[in-house]
Amino acid sequence: MSIHNIYIFDRMGTLLYYMDWNRQKNSGMSKEEEAKLMYGMLFSIKSFVAKISPHDPKRGFLCYKTNKYALHYYESLTGIKFVLNTNTSVKNVRDLLQQLYKDIYVEYVVKNTECEMGQPIVSELFKVKLDQFIKQQVKTLQ
Amino acid sequence: MSAEDVLFDMLHAEIVSYMVSKESETEDEDLSVLEHLGYSCGWRLIERITKELSRYKEELEILKFICTDFWSCVYKKQVDNLRTNHQGVYVLQDNEFRFFSKLSNGTQYLKAAPKYATFTCGLIRGALENFGIASIVTVEINTMPSCKFHINVQQSS
Repeated sequence: MSIHNIYIFDRMGTLLYYMDWNRQKNSGMSKEEEAKLMYGMLFSIKSFVAKISPHDPKRGFLCYKTNKYALHYYESLTGIKFVLNTNTSVKNVRDLLQQLYKDIYVEYVVKNTECEMGQPIVSELFKVKLDQFIKQQVKTLQ
Repeated sequence: MSAEDVLFDMLHAEIVSYMVSKESETEDEDLSVLEHLGYSCGWRLIERITKELSRYKEELEILKFICTDFWSCVYKKQVDNLRTNHQGVYVLQDNEFRFFSKLSNGTQYLKAAPKYATFTCGLIRGALENFGIASIVTVEINTMPSCKFHINVQQSS
């Protein structure tokens, strides 16, 4: 399995964090612009999914897939959004994202009082732990 | 980590940021207020956790007690290393100091680090004071999350 990249947005749509592992193709625009575009699309999909759903949507938008990659979406109750791009064959990414939120984001961002809420994350420790976490997941799921 | 530990961590962090504001020009004064908070906490806490212990006599034994029982009561772990020159100077080293463990594992935030250790300095000083040992406690931070507390016992002559 391979994990391409991750975006973390807060409730207001601010890009809190971006990291990539193996991304071969660039979008040809700045990170900020790309993040805005990404957030806009997610926002649209979310409301589209909620409107078009024949039943109560409950968990709403979960993921989409192309023939090259899959985008997985996880939103916490507080509105923190995790977006993970992987190859198409990866399973149980929802659990992975939930664990990432619980063990990495809450531990090293929320509990780090030097990190200001709603601002991009600059903590080195968070970066290291996130990288470790993803690499470990890649290893165990292979 | 249980919910009450998190509550203590959060409350401590809020007290620190309330006491020591970022643009403050009186940082030394702010820190001394924070240290005094720790002092009275330590003083009271030692009263509570020693109520069933026999009286200690040696200074070193008291310091050992601080490193083991007292530290595990507050931080759920023991001090990793205790050193002394046998002339009233003690160095307590905690390799995984609780208030730093979520902050950094290097030198990032090093400038902000001392304010998170000040309360603990007071805590140690207050505890020792209640054992009848007057001291000055300072902190040395090189690489987080490790932290060294220097205790300088004032000789009562």
